[in-house]
Amino acid sequence: MSSFILKRLGLLVAVVFSVTLLTFLAVNLQGDPLVTLSGPVCETPIDPDFVDECIRLGEDFNLEDPLPIRYAKWVGGMATGNFGRSLVDRVPVSTIMRQRFPETLLLMAMAQFMALGIAIPWAVKAAQSNNGRFDKTSTTMSFAFIAVPAFALGPILIYLFVLTWEIFPASYDDANIGSRLFSLFLPALTLAFGLAAGYQRLLRTDLGATLQEDFILMAKAKGMSTRRIMWGHALRSSLFSIVTVFAINTGALVGGALVVETIFGITGMGGALAEAAIREDFTLVLAGVVVISTGFVVLNILADTLYAIIDPRVRND
Amino acid sequence: MTEIVNSPASVIAAAGTSVNQAAVGMQPGNATEAEMAVDSEFVGNKLGIGFYLSGFWIAAISLAALFAPWLPIKPLEGLESLGERETAPSLTHFFGTNANGKDMFALCIWGARTSLIVGFASITLGMLTGGTIGIVAGFIGGVFDKVSSFIILLLLSIPALILAIFILQSIGNSLFWITITIAILSIPALARLARAQTLAFAEREFVTASRALGAKNGRVMVREILPNVLMPLLALALLAMAIAIVAEGTLSFLGLGAANSSDSWGKLIFAGTPQTLLKDSPWICFAPILMIFLTVLSLNYLGDQVRRRFDVQDIPL
Repeated sequence: MSSFILKRLGLLVAVVFSVTLLTFLAVNLQGDPLVTLSGPVCETPIDPDFVDECIRLGEDFNLEDPLPIRYAKWVGGMATGNFGRSLVDRVPVSTIMRQRFPETLLLMAMAQFMALGIAIPWAVKAAQSNNGRFDKTSTTMSFAFIAVPAFALGPILIYLFVLTWEIFPASYDDANIGSRLFSLFLPALTLAFGLAAGYQRLLRTDLGATLQEDFILMAKAKGMSTRRIMWGHALRSSLFSIVTVFAINTGALVGGALVVETIFGITGMGGALAEAAIREDFTLVLAGVVVISTGFVVLNILADTLYAIIDPRVRND
Repeated sequence: MTEIVNSPASVIAAAGTSVNQAAVGMQPGNATEAEMAVDSEFVGNKLGIGFYLSGFWIAAISLAALFAPWLPIKPLEGLESLGERETAPSLTHFFGTNANGKDMFALCIWGARTSLIVGFASITLGMLTGGTIGIVAGFIGGVFDKVSSFIILLLLSIPALILAIFILQSIGNSLFWITITIAILSIPALARLARAQTLAFAEREFVTASRALGAKNGRVMVREILPNVLMPLLALALLAMAIAIVAEGTLSFLGLGAANSSDSWGKLIFAGTPQTLLKDSPWICFAPILMIFLTVLSLNYLGDQVRRRFDVQDIPL
């Protein structure tokens, strides 16, 4: 087990190193890094209005140093929470991230929670119906669910629940935790829709396999109720793939959060990143890429390890 | 390296492509025997009506996009001068008109051009590159396999949309670069499938026979391996195309699409999202949503059907 974890940690270091190195090279090897970072204002001859700013930017990115030292300083800075300043708002990127990340994490957690809440009973019911009408309808429905991207579902939900039936507020309300959760409901549902369909299909497949096992036959022979067999026995041994996909889906959710936060006007990290990309706020984009990728790798490694704990066969493959 | 690549998370990541949440739950080649058993009833040997309907829609929208300049719809430039703004769908304007008085039906057909071209071109490119990498890596193995596996792992460890934004930020967002970016994002899944298929077939008798007859590596790969890899790869390519169309839509929706191209579906949807507009004239938003929904649904369905027909697990060895 410890060698398993060591290998995963080695992987983490390799991935983080490569991601930071590639992003670093993308900024530093395309002509003048100052121009890449700031756009044309710092191009020589420097616009007199921007001289101070260009010098400061140069200092922020240690442009005086040779490349390897610059890279080391940059990574070291990020490790200690110094991501430089936003090129547009001129506030430290770390401040922006501290303000914005909680909202996104809350949104993603809600979405995952809702998706599982929908998918698990749905899959159990479908497996119970075993190729009956409910099962077949579910398959068709999950196809349809998956085919609605977040940027299409969002406007539909807004039209129905905000504009027509006026159940939810028209704009994001972060006054207190209750209103936050309430106004995050629709955005989370937008993300949960496609996720739930994916989980349902995966779990339905795994349940199908589990239901062929001898211990299920045994449970039936003992006269156990269908409900207890499904929820107590079959479900538990069918949850393996969901654990792994759960982590991978978080990567897709980050992308989804970008879209959904833009649609619903949530002041989260996704919205901030999308905005930064449009405003060419390169420092913010750069920090976002590094932090999100690192978090995503860590999450995947956690899921792998969890998987190895649940299922010992994986450790020795 | 192989342990790392074959960790549970990565295996599923390999199959479930990652561009967007639409990828969730599409695990080509990952279906268990149980799913096969469940599906066999309605797969059988004949293709259902859904297959033909999907095929019909894809053919129709592709032809419409291809021949848009010769169709009896308004040319893109002349759309401006229609005059009547925000008229509801009618016999003269099937999908109504938008805030500038442009005919939504015509816009959706013209939008199909951008969306479909990006989807088709990027996946063709991704399939050529990913397929080649996968077959060579699986067949030759060695250093090439290790290096390509690591690059693929790296690509998968950055959330796709974040990676796309980063690439477009550092290079520029023309239609050409968007296509390239989506192609890059599609490579991991396609390469991994090709590699897995190659590994499965490389040990088979006909390959040994071909070698015994004196065939060199290149010839074995092209004449013996490729035909067996092609169909599963095409099935995944159809799913990937759906994801590529959604990805392009997402980028356009976020305002990161190509500035100088005609409006793709994503941009059209975004144009209809302001809440006052959405409340009064929902068709402006819903028309392109319908188009993208039908297209993605059809591609998913076609891909799934093709996969089931040609899944290697279906062939009794």
